[in-house]
Amino acid sequence: MKQRDVYHFWELLWEMTEKELRARYKHTVFGFLWLVANPLLQMMVIGFIFTFLMKEPVKHYYYYLFLGLLVWNFFSTSLLKATPSVVFERSLIKKAFFPRAVIPTSIVLSSFVHFIIAFMLLLIPTYFLHTFSAVTIPYTLCALVLLITFTTTLSLLTCALNVRFRDINFFTQALLILWFYATPIVYSFNQIPRNLLWVWRFNPLTSVLQLLQHALLGAPAPGPAMLISNSLVILCIALVGIRTFQSESKTFDDWL
Amino acid sequence: MTTPIAIRLSHISKKYEIHHEKPTLVEKFVRGKNETFWALQDINLTIKRGERVGIIGPNGSGKTTLLKIIAGITEATAGTTQTRGKIVSLIDLGAGFHPDLTGVQNIYLNGMILGLKKQYIDRQFDDIVSFADIRQFIDTPLFTYSDGMKLRLGFAIAIHADPKILILDENIGVGDNDFQIKSERKIRELVRGGVTVLIVSQIVPFLAHNCSRILFMKSGRIVRDGELDILKQYQQGRI
Repeated sequence: MKQRDVYHFWELLWEMTEKELRARYKHTVFGFLWLVANPLLQMMVIGFIFTFLMKEPVKHYYYYLFLGLLVWNFFSTSLLKATPSVVFERSLIKKAFFPRAVIPTSIVLSSFVHFIIAFMLLLIPTYFLHTFSAVTIPYTLCALVLLITFTTTLSLLTCALNVRFRDINFFTQALLILWFYATPIVYSFNQIPRNLLWVWRFNPLTSVLQLLQHALLGAPAPGPAMLISNSLVILCIALVGIRTFQSESKTFDDWL
Repeated sequence: MTTPIAIRLSHISKKYEIHHEKPTLVEKFVRGKNETFWALQDINLTIKRGERVGIIGPNGSGKTTLLKIIAGITEATAGTTQTRGKIVSLIDLGAGFHPDLTGVQNIYLNGMILGLKKQYIDRQFDDIVSFADIRQFIDTPLFTYSDGMKLRLGFAIAIHADPKILILDENIGVGDNDFQIKSERKIRELVRGGVTVLIVSQIVPFLAHNCSRILFMKSGRIVRDGELDILKQYQQGRI
């Protein structure tokens, strides 16, 4: 790509993201509040039930849940909305040539903007818990980079495949239900049965959550084996996702 | 002095897989190979800058597929495509608008889909709005617009996108009588300015009036390529 094209890609991506941000909560009374209300409600219900069930209590459990649910809601809504996005925006595809990747990426990016705002709100109570300090900021940044890379490239993959095989959309929905339980959101990492640890090694969200839980709530940080295996999975998904999208996007029009 | 080339296609072929139903993973694995169909076969075409080319032929002869490949909307299965200058198609004018966004926001979004820079749209903004004649409604969401208003806006954006290659089809009748006259005048103005024009149509007088070169397509091939007399032969059923 030439430099001019790269510039146009980012300009277009930002414009599409703004469109998403404007359109999502349009015509709703509470608008942006829904973003926080959703994980807050989930937190209260899950928190209430699990404090009875849990053998080992997790420190600052309600904050722990809220953090996990914020990350999970970002990941799952991004994936659910980005997967069928090219099919929904077929009229754009048929209109002109432009970098097709802006369609799913703008959806992920707009969810990320929402996520960051809610995330900032969470920082306020962690300051009073004395679990948050400037030393752990690199952990947070590392987690956010892993999270956005993984979500974007996985969305590119499912989105590209969904144009040809519409099953992918339903497959993703089903997968996300299982995925939720394979991620340390409602439980903590040390409650995982050791013989099943490989499941979490394949799930990049494990490191993302452990890094954030460490940075904000003083939970233990991920071990090097977990961090490396999770990063390798992200790298593989990124390569496959970007390559698949590039080759498939040239002929999206044939399938719409 | 030779005229620069605007479009060059060499050995272009396009294969489509036929899916009778919505394609599914299961179908793919169970049936293995799909049925295929060649929409274009070994197309070679060179169009010089400023040429006005009309494409005629029966339904299913590959006219639209050819335009899509030239516009970059889809890619050929084989062969190479070279184009020089911004291509703007006036075929799907109502497309690329978001109903919840206002007229202003849609002008920017649509313009950027066509490959325009934000700054460029800033400069063209007033011209676009006055050409489309929607100044009164520019701040209202697009779902309040009539179909005619949307088409006018789509046309106004496309025409102000500084096209070097313009792709039209026969249904270029946009809006009311006044707007049609205005839009025809604008297209003629662009053509005089050296824009290359490609028109797909079934309407012989329309092509005769607007084109200097005619391509006749049949079954995915360019059968005839030449002067306006091809139109006469087409009308008399001799090709």
